[in-house]
Amino acid sequence: MAAPPRLKATSASPGVATGPAYVATPMAAAASPPSHLSGLTELGNAIEKAIRDLRALAAGTDPESGEIIEFQIEVLQDPTLMEMAGARIDAGENIVFAWVGTLDTYIRELECAEEDQLQARAVDILDVKNRVLSILTGTPIDDFPAGSIYVGKDMEPSRFLAHDWSAGGGIALYAGSAVGHVALLARSRSVPMVIGAGRFTTEKGQHIGVDGDSGIIMLQIAKQSATTAPHDHRLTSMASAADNGILHTADGCQVLLAINVNAPEEIDAIDVATTAGIGLMRSEFAVTSLGDAANEEKQFAIYRRLLDWTDGRSTTIRMLDIGGDKPLAGLIDVPSLRGIRLLLARPEIARVQARALLRAAVFGSLQIMLPMVMFPSDVDDIRQIYREESDALSRRGVPHRMPPIGMMVEVPAAALMLDEFESADFFSFGTNDLAQYLVASPREDADFALYQAKAVPAVLRLLTQAIRLAGKKPVSICGDMAGDPSLTAALLAAGIRHFSMAPAQLPAIRSAIVGLKADGTKAAGE
Amino acid sequence: MSGGLRVGNLEGEQIHTSCQTEVEVKHGVGLHARPSVTFTRLAKSFPCSIEVAINGSDVWLNGKSIIKIMGARIRKGSLLKIRAEGILAEEAIRALKGLVERNFDEEKKHGRTA
Repeated sequence: MAAPPRLKATSASPGVATGPAYVATPMAAAASPPSHLSGLTELGNAIEKAIRDLRALAAGTDPESGEIIEFQIEVLQDPTLMEMAGARIDAGENIVFAWVGTLDTYIRELECAEEDQLQARAVDILDVKNRVLSILTGTPIDDFPAGSIYVGKDMEPSRFLAHDWSAGGGIALYAGSAVGHVALLARSRSVPMVIGAGRFTTEKGQHIGVDGDSGIIMLQIAKQSATTAPHDHRLTSMASAADNGILHTADGCQVLLAINVNAPEEIDAIDVATTAGIGLMRSEFAVTSLGDAANEEKQFAIYRRLLDWTDGRSTTIRMLDIGGDKPLAGLIDVPSLRGIRLLLARPEIARVQARALLRAAVFGSLQIMLPMVMFPSDVDDIRQIYREESDALSRRGVPHRMPPIGMMVEVPAAALMLDEFESADFFSFGTNDLAQYLVASPREDADFALYQAKAVPAVLRLLTQAIRLAGKKPVSICGDMAGDPSLTAALLAAGIRHFSMAPAQLPAIRSAIVGLKADGTKAAGE
Repeated sequence: MSGGLRVGNLEGEQIHTSCQTEVEVKHGVGLHARPSVTFTRLAKSFPCSIEVAINGSDVWLNGKSIIKIMGARIRKGSLLKIRAEGILAEEAIRALKGLVERNFDEEKKHGRTA
């Protein structure tokens, strides 16, 4: 799918620039978890700090930049923001979400405005939101290399102002606005800029050009020196099994092998052609702080990266399974809720993730999986959140898609009642938790490994029954049992045809399946 | 804007008043970013509450909130009702009305639409 060499866009600032593409991710990873974020005072302090930073940024700049910064400062000093954020905090919302939620309300109002001038202010408010968010969560606003061509949906004025343009460079936006503050700044500083290019793909560091005179983006222009092909290292790791994770038992029954992913970096060393996709992405390993949980753009970038990698293969992302023994840094005011219970108790967390997932779903074959589901109403309630967020995205004209929503089967109460879960689109068995709850043992218990091993027959019996109850809905397994070759036969016998496991287990399970028939018995001659 | 005249007045009710006016936005770009900053900064310089309503609407918005003012989409030809209540209410109304009539002092700056 080679990108066209030239992309028609709209000129926003004249001039021509070439350089390595800097593909923007709106905010960098949280450097440190937020601490004791609880009250209006902390928010007030963060806002004060943001204002001081903006004033420092304004010092010595031209009048154009000064006025833009004055506008942002006036927004930060808006009394209704503190009122609304204060009301949210009083209602029990965490300070980070209170801030994000308040600002998002205004950003959406502006995005839906008919006037271009008003719409163009949405990114200014987004900038203000992220500036305070970065202070609250200790995440710096990231600059990009001098001389780069900035590529992104839009660009925040503070990023433009913080960047050194003396080495050249330009701006190419998927969306953006010619009456936006960044366009204004670009024109006054003679930085070539085009907008409205639509979503396009370019590798980070790939040399591209921006022609702000004719409104064109030149993709893949003459590469500097001989850069190494980015995919080379993948081929060596698992060169022998580029079967797309599609196998057949000895008697010809198709079996799919997918992988479990935690941090998104894990996929970099894996050749996607050795897998049927991602069967389980544990989003809580990528979204590790309250700041990340509040950061829709960062989450969107993570999910998008996974979908780009799977290249059309099925990609199952599990919503945040936090709480209990998996606390989220900064979320201290939550009772001992876990998984879906916590998501439903703190819908502001679920809503941010839902929006990021709905938007990412446009870019591949995404499935959403719900953690620790117990009752059918859990799925219904989350689905309602997805519907509401989808409607809101539609109103704002933001591209998105409603993906299938399925559930982890890891609580016995759910496993026994799968026929009642009409609103789940698919099931995936999480055998670690299932075993834990079947033997009534906390995982941190020293004897848990022993209990878990002894529980295998009970887990298998429960799986076999649950698969019957699942009817025609897709079923898979993504717990540790899926990657244990000594259990592959029993799982095939139970009816499992879709396994998801740690990438390192792929070769072992591959070998195990080839020697087995679909009913789990050994093939003749083995 | 001679607000200082009444500050020393001992008659509390004279200082603490409510006051209202109507003014048409006659020129220019309406209340977008820069004019909104000018308006809300002036409004915030008065200790009284200040609210605005647009084109006969009965929704009164906080005149000190830039997001509310900007979001109100005040354009050329809009009828702007401004009301103030509290200390220096009259002065506030006079000053804000004057600002709208002077087209938010846009001409004093460079004539750019931001």
